[in-house]
Formats: sequence, C-alpha cells, structure tokens
Amino acid sequence: MSRGGVPLRAAAEVLSNQPAGGCNWRLLLRVPGWPGARPGQFAMLSPGARAACERWDPLLPRPMAIYRERAYSAETEIEILYKVTGRGTALLAEARVDQSVGVVGPLGRSFPLPAAGEDALLVGGGTGIASLYALASLSVQRGPTAVFLGARAAEDLMGLDDFRAIPELRVEVATEDGGAGERGLVTQPFERALASSPRAAVYACGPTPMMRAVAESAAKAGQRCFVSLENSMACGFGVCLGCAVPQRDGVFSLVCREGPVFAADAVDWSGLA
Amino acid sequence: MSAAADLSVDLGGIALRNPVLTASGTFGYGTEFSPFLDLRTLGGFVTKSLTLLPRAGNYPPRIAETPAGMLNAIGLENVGVEVFVREKLPVIPEDVPVIASVFGTEAAEYAEVLKRLSGVPKVAGFEINASCPHVKSGGIEFGQAPELLVQLVRAVRRATPQPLLIKLSPNVTSIAEMARICEGEGANALSLINTLQALDVNLETRRLVLKNGLGGLSGPAIRPVALRMVYQAARAVRIPICGIGGISSAEDALKFLLCGATAVQLGTINYLNPAAAAEIVDGIAAYLVRAGCSRVRDLIGALES
Repeated sequence: MSRGGVPLRAAAEVLSNQPAGGCNWRLLLRVPGWPGARPGQFAMLSPGARAACERWDPLLPRPMAIYRERAYSAETEIEILYKVTGRGTALLAEARVDQSVGVVGPLGRSFPLPAAGEDALLVGGGTGIASLYALASLSVQRGPTAVFLGARAAEDLMGLDDFRAIPELRVEVATEDGGAGERGLVTQPFERALASSPRAAVYACGPTPMMRAVAESAAKAGQRCFVSLENSMACGFGVCLGCAVPQRDGVFSLVCREGPVFAADAVDWSGLA
Repeated sequence: MSAAADLSVDLGGIALRNPVLTASGTFGYGTEFSPFLDLRTLGGFVTKSLTLLPRAGNYPPRIAETPAGMLNAIGLENVGVEVFVREKLPVIPEDVPVIASVFGTEAAEYAEVLKRLSGVPKVAGFEINASCPHVKSGGIEFGQAPELLVQLVRAVRRATPQPLLIKLSPNVTSIAEMARICEGEGANALSLINTLQALDVNLETRRLVLKNGLGGLSGPAIRPVALRMVYQAARAVRIPICGIGGISSAEDALKFLLCGATAVQLGTINYLNPAAAAEIVDGIAAYLVRAGCSRVRDLIGALES
C-alpha cells in the first residue's frame, strides 16, 4: 500500500459531466499539474462547481475515488464516477462544462498489486466499483484477473462497459433484481472463483456487509485480502481526524491517511457503520 | 506603485510577521500542509492540543456536516507531548512561530505539559485550551466556571514565563467576565472563540449523529457570533486578542481586526482549502494597499463609532 505523487490543490476544468445510468454520473476533469494517482487513491472534490460568489453550504469537499486518468504532456484528465446521494453530489451533477471544480489529491494509500502467481479477484458493489477500475486495468498486465461487479439493478452498475473493454479481464455481474448477470449478491460468483483459485489476492470495495463477507471468505481460504473503506471526512489529508475507524488492535486509523485501502484482517468490522 | 504594507503584529509578546495563524486541531502538526502551502507564509500556527500522554480520541462517528458548518467531537486525539517534542517539532521549518496548544484534565496536568515544553526551541508560546467542548473532563469545565478559570490561569502562569494565550469558550454567559479573569491572572493574550456546543440527530436511526452526543460547531455558520464575542472581549481587556470562528476570507479576517483582534486564526477553512492561509495573508496585504494603510496594526480596533 503506497502513495502516489505529492498531492496538489487545483481548480479543475469540467470537460464533461453526464448521467451514467441510475443515479450515477460520470465527470471528466482537466487537472493542470496532476501528479498521477495509483489504483485506489482518491481526491476531495468541492460540492459543486466553484461559484463566482463563495458558497459555504454545503461546506465540505467530498472524497471520490479516482476512476481513471489519461495523461498528456503537462495535463491530465481524471475521470470520476459518482452517485447522487445528497446535496453535495446533486450540486456536483449541476456542474457544467467550462466551470471548475475544486480538487485536492491524489490522496491516501493505494492497492498493492497482485504478486506473481496470484490470481487477482476484485469485488465491487455499488459506488465501490469506481475504486477498482484502475486496479483492474493494471492487474491484467500481471496475471489472471477477474472482477465481480454487483448492484441492486442493472442501471446501477457503474462503468460496466469500461470493465468489459479491458483486454484479458474476466467480468462477472450480479444484480439483486436479476436485471443483469446472476440474480443475487456479488459474493456468490466471487465465492465460486475463490474456491477454484489456489493462490489469490482479493480486493473489495463496496457496502460494509459485502466487504466483510468477502474478507471472511478470503480469510477462510487463506488468501490475502485488501478492502477500500469509505467514511465521511472534512479534509482528506490527515488533519481533521474525522474519518477514524477502529482497528483490530484497538487503535483508530484514519481512512484518508492510513487507508482508504486496508489489509482486511486489520479491520474491526463490528466497529464500522 | 505603493510599498508593501507592514503586516507584523505583536501577540502578547510573540512577534508575528503577519496576523494570520492557523487554529489548533485544524492544522495537524504543520507538515501535513507542506504540499499545499509554504508554512513560512503563516504568521504562525497553533498545534493540535497536546496532553501529557497520547490520547486515542473518541469513538466514531466524530464529525458531521451542518448548514455552513460542521460538528466535531474528536476527543483531543494527539501524540502526547513527548512524541511532539521528539518527532513533530524537529520537522517543522525554522522561522515558523509555533504556539503549542496545551490541554489537561486538571490544572496540574496543564502545568506539567507546559514545563515539558518551556524553553524548547521553536515553541514561541502557549495556548491553553480551556474550552474543548467534547471531552469527558477538563477543558470546557475550566472555561465555563469563573472560579475554575481563575485557578487554571494561575496554575499555568506559574508554570511558564513564556507568552501565554488562553483559549476561551463561547459557551458562557459573559465573555467579558472570563476575559477579565485571564487578564487579571497574568495571561498575555486571549484566543476566542472555541467551537459552540451543538448536536444533530439522525432521523433514520433516531440517534444523535455523533457517537459522543455533543460536539463543537465550527465554520462560517459561527462567524457572526465569534465576531460579537471578540468585540465584547476587546472592550473588556487590554491584552491582545486572537480572533477565531469561521474566518474564511481576508474580508472576514479584517472584520475581526476592526472589532479589536490583534491577529486571527483560521480553522475549518483549512480543511476545504489547505492554501487558505496564504491567500488570506495576500488578501489582507492587498486591502491595506487599496485602503492606503501602511500598517496592519493601525486597523486593530479601528471601528468607526
């Protein structure tokens, strides 16, 4: 679990901001000087476009996974997939092309890549899927990689076509209403793959019950597992101390600084919301 | 072209190159901001409150967003004074005045922390946290009861000859009375305000949002309250005042100076904009040039009647 380049604060130009199925949106930003993110890192985004007149409500920036990035000489475009869940994200969905969004990032520790000889098994649920695309696209270059994507309904499956376009990536889908892929929980196809893999590195991001189930299965199978946790945070870089989560050893860890990626066996699941 | 204005101020014996500091608990131990800000642009910074032993802080949830503000109940998580001196202080650049915030559950603990820090290089002075609203004991108890505040200020005054700021709680009936107590017991300056005691409710779970129940409200929402209290305190005492409470722009900072603050501290804005302090210093300098004012200290308490 490592960090990328030194984070920066920038006014990022909105290149596009489009609905992406269900309550999901896809935001493309041009960030001058962006140092490049590693898989699993995140950025803090202002809740909506930066207004001509300062607006303090809602106040706090929102942590968002960096879904994908494309680097050109001195500029990088970063892509964010987000779900409109409240006022901040509703305002973000109103950001128009040529407006700018405040960005601080890249932040947090990244997913460790699978070792030689390990199958990579990635499990994403709901908005957690957005944290896995960069990992999937790197992991396929190192060895057999499968991603298991789950959501309530087909329209909620973020970025499904993008994952399907990654060469050599096995993609399996489960939806609770059966509208796409297997009916039921995403843990079902994952469990089957885990059972047939002699050596795997397991990665999960999604609702806490999903991550916990994945972590427990991986532990039973004796495979290493990493989870990316979500939490509300005010700063994203280790000073507000708002995103503390309890760990097995009784101490608190900050999701923004020690995470968001944690070794699953360090997490105190009973202490997570 | 006009010459650059003189931004320097004297905060109770601490010489500051400009009146913009960053508030305790919102600026970590300083170096967290190095990617975003040259720390030497700050007038100074106030550390996370330090206790004799490390503290793990409160069980989460610890923060919540509120209208134009936020609640927090961190519970004074900090590395403890020893680790601060050994590991945190050495990596802070030279030439950045560090004001160490000090907390204890009883007056004797405050005094012990002060003794450990007295004379330590880079520490320009101390801010006594007499107002933390979200720990079980200490802090706000001292800041809310006049007789306890007398004892606390007396004890910390005895513990160090260095500049001593007392950080006051807004959760009191008369800020003027608390300010006069601090002045009478030998404090060099006051910092105000700490957060306002507050809470929020989650309608889904029908529980209080913060695990601690009560938290402290900060951010732009509290700014007019803070400005009023600085105004009242400045009329009650002669010692300098460091104004705190939702300051988010140079204009906000200037209003605090006009109401009698010698310097200001930025808090919640550091989370949203980690470069805010540098922008606000620049904004103050630009205002002075525009207003034809050569020294920022001429603005302190310079409200027209």
